[in-house]
Amino acid sequence: MRSTSLPFLRRALPGQLTCLTGALAALVLIVAAAPIIVMIIMSFGASDTLAFPPPAYGLQWYRSAWHIFMSPDASDVLSMGQALGTSLAVALATMFIAAAVAIPAAYALNRFRFPGKALVEQFIALPMVYPMVMLGISLLLVFNYLPFEIGIFRLIIAHVILALPFAVKNCAASIAGIGPEFEEAAYLMGARPLRAMFDVVLPLMRPGILAGMLFAFIVSFNEFTVTFFLYDVDTMTLPVWLYSRTVSSLDPTVFSFAVFIVLIDFCLIWLLEKLVGDDGVAL
Amino acid sequence: MLEENSHRRPWLLLSPALLFLAVLAAAALAVVRMSVDVPGHGWHGISLSGYTDLAIPYYLKSLWLTLRLALQSTVLAVLLAIPVALAMARAKSKLARRLLLTGVLLPLLVNLLLQSYGWLIILGPGGVLNHALLSLGIVQRPVQWLYRENGVLLGLIQTAFPLAALPMASALRAISGSYEEAAATMGASRWQILRHVLLPLAMPGMLSGALLVFAYNASAFAVPLLLGGRRVSMLAVLVRDQITPLLNWQAASAISIVLMLATLAVMALSQKLVHRSQHLLGKTS
Repeated sequence: MRSTSLPFLRRALPGQLTCLTGALAALVLIVAAAPIIVMIIMSFGASDTLAFPPPAYGLQWYRSAWHIFMSPDASDVLSMGQALGTSLAVALATMFIAAAVAIPAAYALNRFRFPGKALVEQFIALPMVYPMVMLGISLLLVFNYLPFEIGIFRLIIAHVILALPFAVKNCAASIAGIGPEFEEAAYLMGARPLRAMFDVVLPLMRPGILAGMLFAFIVSFNEFTVTFFLYDVDTMTLPVWLYSRTVSSLDPTVFSFAVFIVLIDFCLIWLLEKLVGDDGVAL
Repeated sequence: MLEENSHRRPWLLLSPALLFLAVLAAAALAVVRMSVDVPGHGWHGISLSGYTDLAIPYYLKSLWLTLRLALQSTVLAVLLAIPVALAMARAKSKLARRLLLTGVLLPLLVNLLLQSYGWLIILGPGGVLNHALLSLGIVQRPVQWLYRENGVLLGLIQTAFPLAALPMASALRAISGSYEEAAATMGASRWQILRHVLLPLAMPGMLSGALLVFAYNASAFAVPLLLGGRRVSMLAVLVRDQITPLLNWQAASAISIVLMLATLAVMALSQKLVHRSQHLLGKTS
């Protein structure tokens, strides 16, 4: 800890990143990424066992994964393609609905002072601490007692609720950075509130909105717990499909599917950071 | 100008979000109602048997296990998050910042199921961790990690530490550099600055991160399901067991209510304790 006080080491100025902190941070992050890294390496293995590191490397799991993707066997309840389609449809719907819901909410919370505002803010953050299993079972109860089937909307409603805090916080962060003077200028020039909103505020909010949308997409695309309670045979998402394949035994083909999902996640997260920039992610 | 006609407008703008949250609230009420249901009578009659049936060692042990693992993982995750948050707040280069944020977001956002598969390989009897421990001579025989509490704890820490790191990083970023400079001018060492200046100032961020980690891990499902199997039965896994093979909705609802109440109680208590200790600190210093 005190190595910086040794005379031959240049003492970093306060507020600068020291080598020790940087090294510790890197170590923690590498260990945290270990499961993902191990899985990627395994997917290039060429043996039937789960020994790590694999004794030989090859692309056989990718070939068999491609085979499963192209010609699903009859024993599967649902093909991977269908599950991927469901996942993408749910994630896209979640993304757009979450944005449509979060933008006005973030605007209201930022631009108005009204009684009960603190309560509403707490309420919107609630899904982050609400136990996921309880969300799963409670939505299942409600949906089962509905007089009609809502199909894929079971998952979409659940995912929008889960993504709402992230979407609202990211939108709110971007509104907070836009002073009210922009709208006032628009009003002075004769714009109606709706016009000022669409032509002035929304374009300025774009990075925050896009970040919130991406967050919603990522949360939905990777959601397992709540979906596991709510899915049925026709609305199986990719994570649930993977689980149903591995529930009896872990077959390394899964790793190549997993690498595919991680790759998508990585691209989305990289894109997210590009949008969020230096302010960090609002949580 | 913005303030006129502004009695109804905020509520109008909030209404779509509140609609979704109303579904959440209605669903929560449905669970409360179901938990006091008389089994087999479908919404008629009230009985507390759902709760009294839980007062057997099997469930009490599971509740204790759940709270213990959540608490342990929270403490360890917060400790591990400190260097990461410091680095996130301090890093100057753009690439370093992006790599740090990616590294933090990956474990949080990538599907828990997939990460658990990775853990299965690492923790297995012939896995990476045992290899490393054996070759370093720390242990003589392979340690059983899978389907044990230790393995689940590792998984919980790894998947939840970003929730501690992100609020802490933004709290640290908000602290003005002049405090540190003042402390340094007066001869404080780096460790003293961290211990006595930065961490106390970042306390609110740390606390909210810790509470997020606790709530997340108390209701963890995927990690104990895959890494714990039948041996480490955290409450969330028991909820699922009651529904899928047993179709006992009343018990499942009661367990999830107990889980929720226990989580809220611990969160409220820790918040109170921290407030009180800060209050005391403020008085003495």
